[in-house]
Amino acid sequence: MMEERVLEVLEEYCGEALDYEGDNMMEEGVIDSFTVINIVSELEDVFDIEIDAKYVVAENFRNKEAIIELVRRLTEE
Amino acid sequence: MQLLSNSFVILWVICFALYYLVPVKWQWVVLTVAGALFYMIGTGGIPVGILLTAVSTYACGIWLNNSLGAQKKALSDCVNADKEEKKTIKLGFERQRRRVQILYFVFNLGILLTTKYTVVILPILQKAGFSSFFPDSFFARIVMPLGISFYTLTAIGYVVDVGREQCSASKNFWKLLLFLFYFPAVTQGPFNRYGKLSAEFEREHIFNYERMLFGVQRFVWGAFKKLVIADRVNIFVGNVFGSNEAVWGSIYALAVVLYMIQLYADFSGYMDMALGISETFDILLPENFKRPYFSTSVAEFWRRWHITLGTWFKDYVMFSFVMSGAGRKISKNAKKRWPRLGKHVTSVIGTMLVWLLTGMWHGRTAGYILWGVYYGLIMCVSLVLESEFAVWKKRLHLREGRLYSLLCMARTWVIVFLADVLIRSESLSQAKEIYLALFTRFHLREGILHVSSYGLSKYGFILLLVACLLWLLVSIREEQGRDVRRDIASRPMAVRWGCYYGVVLLLIITGIYGGSYDTAAFLYQSF
Repeated sequence: MMEERVLEVLEEYCGEALDYEGDNMMEEGVIDSFTVINIVSELEDVFDIEIDAKYVVAENFRNKEAIIELVRRLTEE
Repeated sequence: MQLLSNSFVILWVICFALYYLVPVKWQWVVLTVAGALFYMIGTGGIPVGILLTAVSTYACGIWLNNSLGAQKKALSDCVNADKEEKKTIKLGFERQRRRVQILYFVFNLGILLTTKYTVVILPILQKAGFSSFFPDSFFARIVMPLGISFYTLTAIGYVVDVGREQCSASKNFWKLLLFLFYFPAVTQGPFNRYGKLSAEFEREHIFNYERMLFGVQRFVWGAFKKLVIADRVNIFVGNVFGSNEAVWGSIYALAVVLYMIQLYADFSGYMDMALGISETFDILLPENFKRPYFSTSVAEFWRRWHITLGTWFKDYVMFSFVMSGAGRKISKNAKKRWPRLGKHVTSVIGTMLVWLLTGMWHGRTAGYILWGVYYGLIMCVSLVLESEFAVWKKRLHLREGRLYSLLCMARTWVIVFLADVLIRSESLSQAKEIYLALFTRFHLREGILHVSSYGLSKYGFILLLVACLLWLLVSIREEQGRDVRRDIASRPMAVRWGCYYGVVLLLIITGIYGGSYDTAAFLYQSF
């Protein structure tokens, strides 16, 4: 369920991220900083979490699985 | 000390020999001593500003580490406390850390601003009647330490990373010193992250012939870009922009195009040299350029140009602002007020802030501030109108293909061209004069007739063209994902050494050297 909602957010802001299969989405330009900000803001609203700047690093946004993992970690905290 | 000087090459060779002769656990010591010598030979001593930055960074890192440890202990001591209580404890520690970090930032940015902007601020203070407090002798005492803009940002990044628990603070002062002042990178970057570079220093480094060869090759290729292209272009560009007489618009256009090439050749040439030197020590530094002139948008251009600076500003300024309390408040209010565009408000403010700071970081003149604002505005417009552009693209039936990409690339070149007028002009009035000349007195024919009156002969232009074509060829191969050095290494011996000697000979015969075989200073060194 949580996974699906993250994917929905990604689809809304960056459809390319769903098809991306590498592990460096930010550095490869698939997802730019503006999109990251929009996605973070939307995820915060949807899951009622606070994503601190320390989590907004290439490592946590390397692909869709990493983003799902980040949201899972923050919702469990 | 220039990377292209006899004294540096001697230092490099001695350091290289010692590095692989000493036991592995002492290799970092060799690099630290070499860094200190690099600084001392280059600037005649170690400026006080550097020591202040190093000591404050070390102390702040240790303090933050201890605070994080104390927070963990306090939280584990109250296992039975409820969520709110734990949150209060955490917030208390976080507030303390934030205060210390702010103090650290003010102190170190203060050193940077004092040394960098003194020449701008003091004359204003003197004119305002404070000349007795700030006499001319005051100027003489303030020395801008070599690479201060680079190592200050590197140090700030380290302190933020420790605070964010992205790395542990260094317990060894000398190892931190090595990270901050690693000599291939200290004057012009690339910006390094402590987590990655310290891991490189800790790794075991065993001599590898191929790695050494590749490192030297990259150094020579960087020197080629610097001496054959950048310094040759510098003659023409310097004479055009320094001319006291009226210059035809077409000459200005050529000078700005050549300046675009010069800046890229000079800076990426330095990066090749720095990364090549580091490679000989088996220490890999991050890439700072990925063929930016192949970019189809300005945003992409800045993802490929001075990559580590862009990442620094994105991670430590942009995201820090947007995810801060103030950023979240602004975003919330904006979304309420403008449901459709409100989501972009913090991104727009963050972008303008980043670009203003990028402009200020690069230079002290109004031209650099305008340059930053110009790029900030372009980024913001493309962000807000992105969806509109997509609609227009569909309506106009624009299909992505080679021609479309080429047109987009040309658009990027024009935008960069207009921006570079601002930073290369001697003053804003000259920039205005250039913009006017481009439209009111372009006179292509006159330009062609007078092109060799600016210090670069017909022969010089032909050489430049050949060198640029060679560079373009290499860039195209790299853009196709090929590793040119490996490609050459896999060729038969005659071809392989033909390539190596060809570049070296071209470098020796056609490189631009001064009277005492010194080279022109690197452009980014002054930033």
